[in-house]
Amino acid sequence: MIGKAPRWIIVVVGIVAFIWVIPIVGIVVTSLRPPEGVSLGWWRFEHFDFTLNAWRQVWVKYPLAQSMWTTVKLAGISTVLTMLLTPAAAYAFHFLKFPSRRLLLIIIINAFVLPQQVVIIPLFTLWRDLGLIDNIFSILIPYVGLSFAWSIFLVKNFFEDFPHELVEAAKIDGCGPLATFWYVVLPNSLSPIFAVGILQFLWTWNSLLLPMLFLRNNVPLPVLLARISGSYEINWDQRSVAAIVTTIVPLLVFLVFQRQFAAGSQTRTGAKE
Amino acid sequence: MAGTSVSHLREAAGVFHGSSPATAVKSRRRLRETPAALILIAPVIVLFAISVAYPLAETIRLSFWDIQGLRKPAYVGLGNYAKLFADPAFRNTLLTTLIFTIGTTVISVAIGWVLAMMCAFAPRQTLPFRVMIFAAFGISEAVSGYMWIGIYRADAGGLLNSLIQLLGFPGFAHAWLGDANTALWALIIAASWSGVGLPLMLIFAAIQAIPKSVLEAAYMDGARPVSTMRHIMMPLSMPGVRVAVFINLLGALRAFDIIYILTGGGPVRSTETVGYFMYRESMTQFKLGYGAAATVILLLAVLIISTPAILQRTAGAR
Repeated sequence: MIGKAPRWIIVVVGIVAFIWVIPIVGIVVTSLRPPEGVSLGWWRFEHFDFTLNAWRQVWVKYPLAQSMWTTVKLAGISTVLTMLLTPAAAYAFHFLKFPSRRLLLIIIINAFVLPQQVVIIPLFTLWRDLGLIDNIFSILIPYVGLSFAWSIFLVKNFFEDFPHELVEAAKIDGCGPLATFWYVVLPNSLSPIFAVGILQFLWTWNSLLLPMLFLRNNVPLPVLLARISGSYEINWDQRSVAAIVTTIVPLLVFLVFQRQFAAGSQTRTGAKE
Repeated sequence: MAGTSVSHLREAAGVFHGSSPATAVKSRRRLRETPAALILIAPVIVLFAISVAYPLAETIRLSFWDIQGLRKPAYVGLGNYAKLFADPAFRNTLLTTLIFTIGTTVISVAIGWVLAMMCAFAPRQTLPFRVMIFAAFGISEAVSGYMWIGIYRADAGGLLNSLIQLLGFPGFAHAWLGDANTALWALIIAASWSGVGLPLMLIFAAIQAIPKSVLEAAYMDGARPVSTMRHIMMPLSMPGVRVAVFINLLGALRAFDIIYILTGGGPVRSTETVGYFMYRESMTQFKLGYGAAATVILLLAVLIISTPAILQRTAGAR
């Protein structure tokens, strides 16, 4: 706190914040009113006409439930895989010695700059030749493979501060590298592993480009929304429901954990409010 | 630990047998740990090879080939690149990418920066407001694209046009996404809406890291809030700003989702960035080699802005 906060600052930030949520409020209100009611704008209330019709009908109109299930499956499996494979590799890179360790590490952690666009042409032709188009693996493999660039970096950074004495003590007690990882390092690294899981879950749930190209029939929510958002129908209410269903889970996860993100950045700089 | 102390003793006693004992310990350790390390990293290496290393090499290789639909592939050397730079559509795409990338980054970081400095005066009271602005960053890009379609709609249900009508300038109502002159800026504003949250949080954290005594001294000396922001917070928050600028530049260069949903690259290809151009050429026109060459150009742009980050990560990789 720097002296007394001037009132105008809070007012200005507050106004900006309310402007910022208008688009979100817009689709929520639109989803709760009949399309005729919002033809002149969702913010006009000549008469009260709230209804849950769209929320009931949308499941019939679009394969929303099926898409939801596909999204849960894709995001869930790839999140679990990343959470399992990342700490193992980060441990090997940080605590073990093996040939070309540093070279491999440098290549992997710098791959974070690569845009997704780089993978789509080769993977599209590869999956087509292998007959993997529309197969869940065509998505899971790149989801997990692309995550290592940042996930290994994140977990290995955490290991920088990991007490080396613990690892040495385990070694003296006769633990091999694998036992040391399983019994000593893994149980003490749950917080970065969950941080990796949350980031991976958000990224895979929201992903549009890869599933749009590699899946045909069972598409996840963002792809379904992309297919219906630009249509010339007037069912703004139902499409808004689809949009809310698409983003509600990642948004809640994000809001619940954003305190931890903020706290994390503060502990790293050593400052407190 | 034990190994090194023994070798220290030996060194002190002057016992040497051929190679230095420290190196011997190291190489023995390397030999012993390699099998375990291989088990632990093998799945990562395999998945990384399939989904990063192979596609990267293959994209570069394909960029030297003319591959269109079912025709027989032909090696063309730098032909695709020559064609790209002769293609007015691609040259226009480069300009669009530049405007989009710099536009979204400048708008997002500038707004986030000012808000972060203001929030630093009242961290507690502004917490809910920060969460509201940060929430936009947590919305799926596909969904924010859909939201902004609703805002830019040309009919009476469009929020922006209604607002303009309400303010008494009916002449300015416009089909924002349907006009090649306004679509790009409409897209930039929509992308910046999601983009402000991260700079806000990063720069806010950087300001929180400024020693309290510095800010208190300014307050004691009677500095007004605006001059505290201008002369103390602005220069001292630069580390956070640099990270925010880098992340936003990288994000804007790779952008695809929001462009696909909001404008589809149109009207008349006026909102196509390089990242969208490669998708269109390779996946809808089936010119794989041509699209790959455009991807390599995108990759070069990404590498140029990422060089400092790459050097830093490489130096820090021990």
